[in-house]
Amino acid sequence: MFFWKTWKALADNGVMGINRRNADYVLKYNKRHLYPVVDDKILTKERAIAAGIHVPEMYGIIETEKDFDTFDSIVANHNDFVIKPAQGAGGDGIIVIADRFEGMFKTVSGKIISRDEIGHHISSILSGLYSLGGHRDRVLIEYRVSPDQIFKSISYEGVPDIRIICLMGYPVMAMLRLPTRQSGGKANLHQGAIGVGVDLGCGMTLKGTWLNKIISKHPDTTNPVDGVQLPDWDGFMRLAASCYELSGLGYIGVDLVLDQDQGPLILELNARPGLNIQIANDAGLTARCHAVEHHLARLKKEGRTENAEERVAFSQKHFAKNLDRTPPADNSTAESA
Amino acid sequence: MQSINLHLKILIAVLVSLGILITGYQIYFLDIPVTEDETDDIWSLDAKVEFRASPGTPLKAQFYIPPLNQEYVSLNESFISNNYGVSVNSQNGNRRVTWSSRRGSGTQTLYYRLVLTKRYSEEPAKAAPPAPRQPIPLEGPEQVAADALINPIRQHSADIETFISETIRRVNDITDDNVKLLLNGGTSPMDKARVIDLLLSNARIPLEMVHTIRLENTDAQSPELWLRSYNGERWLYFHPETGQQGMPDNRLVWWTGSQPLLAVEGGRQSNVTLTVTNSEMNALRLAKLTTENRASALLEYSLYGLPLQAQRVYQVMIMIPIGVLVILVLRNLIGMQTLGTFTPVLIALAFRETEIGWGIALFTLITALGLSLRSYLEHLKLQMLPRLSVVLTFVVLVIAAISLFSHKLGMEKALAVSLFPMVILTMTIERLSITWEERGAGQSLKAAVGTMIAATLAHLLMSIPELTYFVFTFPAVLLILVGFMLAMGRYRGYRLTELVRFKALNKG
Repeated sequence: MFFWKTWKALADNGVMGINRRNADYVLKYNKRHLYPVVDDKILTKERAIAAGIHVPEMYGIIETEKDFDTFDSIVANHNDFVIKPAQGAGGDGIIVIADRFEGMFKTVSGKIISRDEIGHHISSILSGLYSLGGHRDRVLIEYRVSPDQIFKSISYEGVPDIRIICLMGYPVMAMLRLPTRQSGGKANLHQGAIGVGVDLGCGMTLKGTWLNKIISKHPDTTNPVDGVQLPDWDGFMRLAASCYELSGLGYIGVDLVLDQDQGPLILELNARPGLNIQIANDAGLTARCHAVEHHLARLKKEGRTENAEERVAFSQKHFAKNLDRTPPADNSTAESA
Repeated sequence: MQSINLHLKILIAVLVSLGILITGYQIYFLDIPVTEDETDDIWSLDAKVEFRASPGTPLKAQFYIPPLNQEYVSLNESFISNNYGVSVNSQNGNRRVTWSSRRGSGTQTLYYRLVLTKRYSEEPAKAAPPAPRQPIPLEGPEQVAADALINPIRQHSADIETFISETIRRVNDITDDNVKLLLNGGTSPMDKARVIDLLLSNARIPLEMVHTIRLENTDAQSPELWLRSYNGERWLYFHPETGQQGMPDNRLVWWTGSQPLLAVEGGRQSNVTLTVTNSEMNALRLAKLTTENRASALLEYSLYGLPLQAQRVYQVMIMIPIGVLVILVLRNLIGMQTLGTFTPVLIALAFRETEIGWGIALFTLITALGLSLRSYLEHLKLQMLPRLSVVLTFVVLVIAAISLFSHKLGMEKALAVSLFPMVILTMTIERLSITWEERGAGQSLKAAVGTMIAATLAHLLMSIPELTYFVFTFPAVLLILVGFMLAMGRYRGYRLTELVRFKALNKG
């Protein structure tokens, strides 16, 4: 009986389950042959650059062990940079170099590593240690994002990122992912990071989710996570919406960061975005996806398509949180201010 | 999308109905038993015909053999006779074999064997109702005696059934003078039957003599005589001496009429020995025999047509889809986490060798040891392939060590561990350790426990003998399974664990 009631309640709230996500969205909208575009961060970056979409600047690529000789010239002009596997998953194998120290390198956590150690790490990445399925991989060396100061109070180490799920280029739900001590500075919910819902309409944060529970404070900093206004929200939305043209995939999670100098940048795309974003937003994905699908069907009948600007406008109009209820945002802003 | 959905629905409908139809055909039309331990009785009727040949004359032995249109079906029928021509002809619902030879000398022995079984026969052909009969003419005192008997019988009876019963009762009362006269000194069942026939003919009631044999394990039985009459709707059977009505089920009609079983020309001292032996046979093998007899070769093309060795392998193989179904249900309906997709099925197969308890214990032990090695290797920063190779070799060594120790300790059970699929173990260890690092100990433990539960469930299901038999005999049920799997491919409801995961969103 409990099962049936819960089932009914979830269905009424339009909550999406894994089976539905896979059957109705991932399998339906994402063509398999396009996956490499999102699985390989280098490919994603190249596509994004070609489309004029902002991404962290790529310093260089290392494809073979021999290419490691070019490492010095790649990072010659940069004090800080990020080394990551092109096909890594879950943030594994990423080294963030924050500074140089006596001919050695210093990571964000303050650990000093030598050039040889970096060489070994790069060789591990190339051999496929961190890639999906253990395939040979490439190494990407890129600009180190420095998170905007706005996140200082609600994140622990690492770089918070913003995940926006888009269906056919229409943003349907967004979440701010904050690293915690438990997640080891990674913004991955599975590893213990917090997901905080974001109002699509105005970019104001809502309550958060941590290990499937609804929370309102960051466990490490104990600052409230809701009521934070993300700057340049429309920029985020436009970037996310334009990823549809870039990747060709209909149902994606777009991971963006807010750099304090360069503003919103696209980090990577995900063809199977997780479902915990629903808990963070206290809303169901199915309900919103259906709304987009209805809209698309109507457009098709009228024989027209919408560009990124129009899509963002649609999403902001229909999925803004303060449409369905009075946001707690006002009160908590006052509190935190 | 719409057309794909329709396509899928049609495909599922076709597969499921095909599966049901084929299985139904096998069960209801080929009569293949649904469980393995159904056995059936098989009766061997042996007749040994002996007689002394008169020298210089042609020999001809005519011998009644059971008609085949009864509730029994013949599996095999053979006539063994040296230097004799054999011909079988039927007349009046009887079958009669004629052995003939130009000449012979000394004791002649002829054999007849019929192997019968009760099941798998079509509806028996009903014996045709007899023609209306005329009274057998009698003379003088016999007519008087007959009338003297018939009148009270008629008064004491209401219909054909009671008339016959009453007649039999009176004829068996041999103190009665009228009966004595008609019996003319004889007291054998045959004589009584003749008198009963006589009396009934005067009442214009049809009567047939039926010679039957008991299907019991007996040496040398002689045919038992029964009488049957037709009441306009069905045949009524009576015992000529006891008056018992209705023939027991284990009687097989050998022949009808008043002719003797054996008629020999050109011979004397003829003798017939009838032996009935019973054996049991697995119902399926029997079905196969009867099918062969009926020249339908569908079973020939079933898995039973394979050599025995191969059948064993396929009995394991054909159960794998059942194991896969367990995984499918556990993962997509319940939402249990397992390591790898089909790893639990492979582990379940390994459990066949070790038995479930030992299997779980050894699996846990080896995985735990392998995990500790793996976490040590993690510090050495090895590449994937060399690392996997080290773990695999380690697993082999651990298995060898376990076998050695358990052998020394006298636990032969643990020796079976050598058949544990080492590569599967290695991959399990690798996956487990990756999950451990990425998702933490809790998650990996959950996945490991999930894998064990799935493997155990799959193993238990796959090793039910009845189920194995059923799937092996009716492989078409796998089509129904495929239908279900296809439907699952478009299942979009929640997994049971998601009801807990999204509890926070349950505002209903």
